Amino acid sequence: MTTEVRIPEDMWDEDDKTGSIVHWLYKDGSTVKEGDLIAEVLVEKVTLELTAPASGTLRIRVEPEVVVNKGDVVAVIE
Amino acid sequence: MSRILTMSRAGREALDWEMERRPEIFCMGEDVYKFGGIFGTMDGFGAKYGPERVISTPISETGFIGMAAGAAMAGMHPVIDLAYIDFIGVCYNVLLNTASKTHYMSGGAVKVPMTLLIGTGGGYNNAAQHSQCLHATVAHIPGAKVVYPSNAYDAKGMLHTALRDENFVIFLTHKGTAGVGWMGTPIKTTLSEVPEEPYTVPFGKVKVYREGTDVTITGLGMSVHESLKAADELEKEGISAEVVDLRSLVPLDRDGIMASVAKTGRLIVTDEDYLSYGVSGEVIATVTERDPTVFKKPPVRVTTPDIPIPFSRPLEQAILPLAGRIADAARKLMA
Amino acid sequence: MELTPELRKGFFRTMTLSRAFDDAMIALYWEGKLPIFQFGAGPLPGELHCSNGAEPVGAGVCAALGPDDMITADHRPHHVAVARGVDLDRMAAELLGKKAGLSQGKGGHMHIYDPAVNFASSGIIAEGMGPAAGMALARRLQKRPGVAVAFIGEGAANQGAFHEVLNMVGLWKLPVITVVQDNEWGVSTAKSESTAIERNADRAVAYGIAGEWVGTNDPDDIYLAAARAVARARAGEGGTILEVKTARLAGHFMGDQQAYIPEQMKQVDPIPVYREKLLREGVLTPEEADAIEAEAKARMAKAMAFAKEAPYPDPSEAFHHVFAGEAA
Repeated sequence: MTTEVRIPEDMWDEDDKTGSIVHWLYKDGSTVKEGDLIAEVLVEKVTLELTAPASGTLRIRVEPEVVVNKGDVVAVIE
Repeated sequence: MSRILTMSRAGREALDWEMERRPEIFCMGEDVYKFGGIFGTMDGFGAKYGPERVISTPISETGFIGMAAGAAMAGMHPVIDLAYIDFIGVCYNVLLNTASKTHYMSGGAVKVPMTLLIGTGGGYNNAAQHSQCLHATVAHIPGAKVVYPSNAYDAKGMLHTALRDENFVIFLTHKGTAGVGWMGTPIKTTLSEVPEEPYTVPFGKVKVYREGTDVTITGLGMSVHESLKAADELEKEGISAEVVDLRSLVPLDRDGIMASVAKTGRLIVTDEDYLSYGVSGEVIATVTERDPTVFKKPPVRVTTPDIPIPFSRPLEQAILPLAGRIADAARKLMA
Repeated sequence: MELTPELRKGFFRTMTLSRAFDDAMIALYWEGKLPIFQFGAGPLPGELHCSNGAEPVGAGVCAALGPDDMITADHRPHHVAVARGVDLDRMAAELLGKKAGLSQGKGGHMHIYDPAVNFASSGIIAEGMGPAAGMALARRLQKRPGVAVAFIGEGAANQGAFHEVLNMVGLWKLPVITVVQDNEWGVSTAKSESTAIERNADRAVAYGIAGEWVGTNDPDDIYLAAARAVARARAGEGGTILEVKTARLAGHFMGDQQAYIPEQMKQVDPIPVYREKLLREGVLTPEEADAIEAEAKARMAKAMAFAKEAPYPDPSEAFHHVFAGEAA
């Protein structure tokens, strides 16, 4: 079973703004627990936190410094 | 269990762990309660610890840092956020004459355990009053310990050490290395695997970031990362550079500096602080006093020159000790 | 808050002992420095700022304090230290730079620390204000009682620290009393030449704290004003600026010829005045007063003998105490 890791719709207010992942706190293939902080997302000058929606193995799909929108799948957890 | 953390987040973890367990620790500074300090070291602490232990102050550095010294004398361990080191001008007396000297002047009868968190450095076009390093200006004061981690692992370990030290510790972080959002995307080499458990990194030990045989490049804060970039370039040209992070100015690991230079015979001292009367001269003097015969070539300094930091991007980029200047210096030394 | 005869005798005793301390130090100061003056010569080297004339402030304020309260003093600390009960022998030894001194000879007369009675001082003008407020803050965080008192001069009221700290004292209702000892002179600068208003106590309104002004250099009046300030502080009503018009009879420091002081500004010695007052009001007999004076001189002679006989620290000790937790 895999769970998609999406940029939550409520991560920031304005729909027209984009963000980017600052860095992943775990390497690709690491084991993460549900609720762990797994990435920092930067929107303008503000750092926001992305947490793991499930436990399992992290498969990173989007590298840091790539533009992301709300709802984008940035990783999956297997 | 380790995660890859920014320096900001790693430091925050150390402070949080100590604050949870030690009621004598409290935070003070401008905007610490709602804003979490300029580097996020106290991010969320207002809600967690309340306004009694996370005290947002008026813009009164002489006043509240003086108060911190008094609280320390009375058994507390204040952690002060001074934001930018450029602001030491408005509270220098407390650093110079009270926090650093009370233990000595009392013959050891009065201790002043306090940790002063300060951001340093430029490179982001904030001009001459918000870009200085000035670490030599504080390291010159006897009675103050001065440490300057350059990566997340050291940031956490050295902050644990600072918080357990009975002395006045000035804990510097180069703004560009902290990894906070408003400074942009963090530099990769500042990120490190950081254990969740508490650990200490001792003061007064250099960290050899990268081993090499031809030339020693010492760095501090941001200049460590510029030195690492230079070393990558130099490697492609067949020059093996050893990058040594001083990471602690008081105490300074003179043995560690000497050991590296004795091995390579060549020394480049990088420093984003001003050239004259500073750390770069101190590092060279350390080796020269011990054994000048280890030098195969005269040592070289790559620093900010003795000028105020200019605002305009091309002007500032030209005077900072960036990788290009460091690599050029190494090439000349090897020629 | 009542002026009992015992309390008033105590003021006289404290002031007399403080004066005996300063007089003994003044006598010793010139030893080795005459006829050719050298700062570092003689058994008592360096600068010496004596408290002659300010004794009522130390005696009156300290009598209103309890053991939990905390004090920071300034470059002229002797009268406060004596009134607070700082170890007299070790303070004398410190002035002489001896190992047995309060700071093992590392501080000297401007830097008197005695944690046993919560006493500290600083030679930098107004530099005791932040620490005093911080000590009060510490006690609040520790949930322990204690009022902090910063003793400063009228010149210090023009320092930035005065404004910054008192704003926070008012903002956070800290139990901090700032005793402004107005001796009319900041070295050679008269208060009228340095200060825009006549009374620093009036500045209290700007910080939302209380102001008390005592125009007599009399420990009775000073005590009553201090006791009111302490009562407010203990009741959670915050800080006070307590300004006292006092005197500086021995100059800014030893050797100050004070030629700048005009005849009409010559100051009165408060101790004989108070002695006469107590005799007049029947609190003391002349015999009792004489006995108190003799006792003070004898006590000071003992302290001075202790100080003189004590050995100097070994020169190698200069390197000790730079940091806590290292070689002691």
